[in-house]
Amino acid sequence: MLFFSYFKDLVGREVTVELKNDLAIRGTLHSVDQYLNIKLENTRVVDQDKFPHMLSVRNCFIRGSVVRYVQLPPDGVDIDLLHDATRREARGG
Amino acid sequence: MVATGGLRFFTDRSSDTNEPILDTDNGEELMHLQPSVAIVLGNHPPESPGTLYISTKQVIWLSDTDRTKGYAVDFLSVSLHAVSRDPDAYSSPCIYSQIDTGDEEEDDESESSDSESDETLDISKITEMRLVPSDPNQLDALFEVFSECAELNPEPVEEEEEEHNWVFSADQPGLEVGLDEVDPDWDSSQTTFSTIGHSNGNSDLSRNVLQLHINDQRFEDAEEMESNNSNGGHQ
Repeated sequence: MLFFSYFKDLVGREVTVELKNDLAIRGTLHSVDQYLNIKLENTRVVDQDKFPHMLSVRNCFIRGSVVRYVQLPPDGVDIDLLHDATRREARGG
Repeated sequence: MVATGGLRFFTDRSSDTNEPILDTDNGEELMHLQPSVAIVLGNHPPESPGTLYISTKQVIWLSDTDRTKGYAVDFLSVSLHAVSRDPDAYSSPCIYSQIDTGDEEEDDESESSDSESDETLDISKITEMRLVPSDPNQLDALFEVFSECAELNPEPVEEEEEEHNWVFSADQPGLEVGLDEVDPDWDSSQTTFSTIGHSNGNSDLSRNVLQLHINDQRFEDAEEMESNNSNGGHQ
């Protein structure tokens, strides 16, 4: 659940979601759920030449299981908070 | 990988209502019904008219005119869905979705299915599906239903640990049996081996043995004689 809470803090920020089929979509994180399903708004495809069909899409729902990476805004990580959270998670509490 | 079956044919419809027969025993429920929807599979031409049924488990499209024609895809296989409105991407506003066909199976099936299905398109390899409602104003509602149902279908928990246990437990008895069988032989052979080995190979030990012999009273004379002899020899 660590990453669920973590991504929830990023709602409203600009992220790039890279899928396991190499499609990378940039957009504003609209919402995320416990399965890390991700809803993006104002989306645009990073490699438009490779995936022209996604040009028209302005918002989309991405199944959590197909996500490979989520690229975050550089200042989107509260490192101290993340440290604490991972320690707590590691202790099983 | 097996769970992500991709798109499949669906002909299981009720003779009375013409609606798809759902797996209600396992809790599947119809969430949304949308009449007058065309379906576009990959780059194939649109098929219409049809009716879209969204259940808690899958998306089903049934032809209105041909009772034998219908398609379904589990939400587990829908990687992504979105509202597409740009006429450049597709002529009509639609729900655009990508289907996970399970790459591993794809290669296996490609050869076998080529020979079998010359006429029918191999829908298990379709990776893109567009659903085009005649009324574009329904798109946002459809998108929301899609999202809601996708959230109802999280990835089944892969029981990898169990698999590992199985591998280990399969190995361990084998190992134990092997050791049990070998142990007695190994022990006896090692005992003989070590006695031979010590006297032959271990120089420290053989030196000790030599010193023992030297300190033994019975050999003192002989040694003296030897040393005398050698002294004598030198002199």
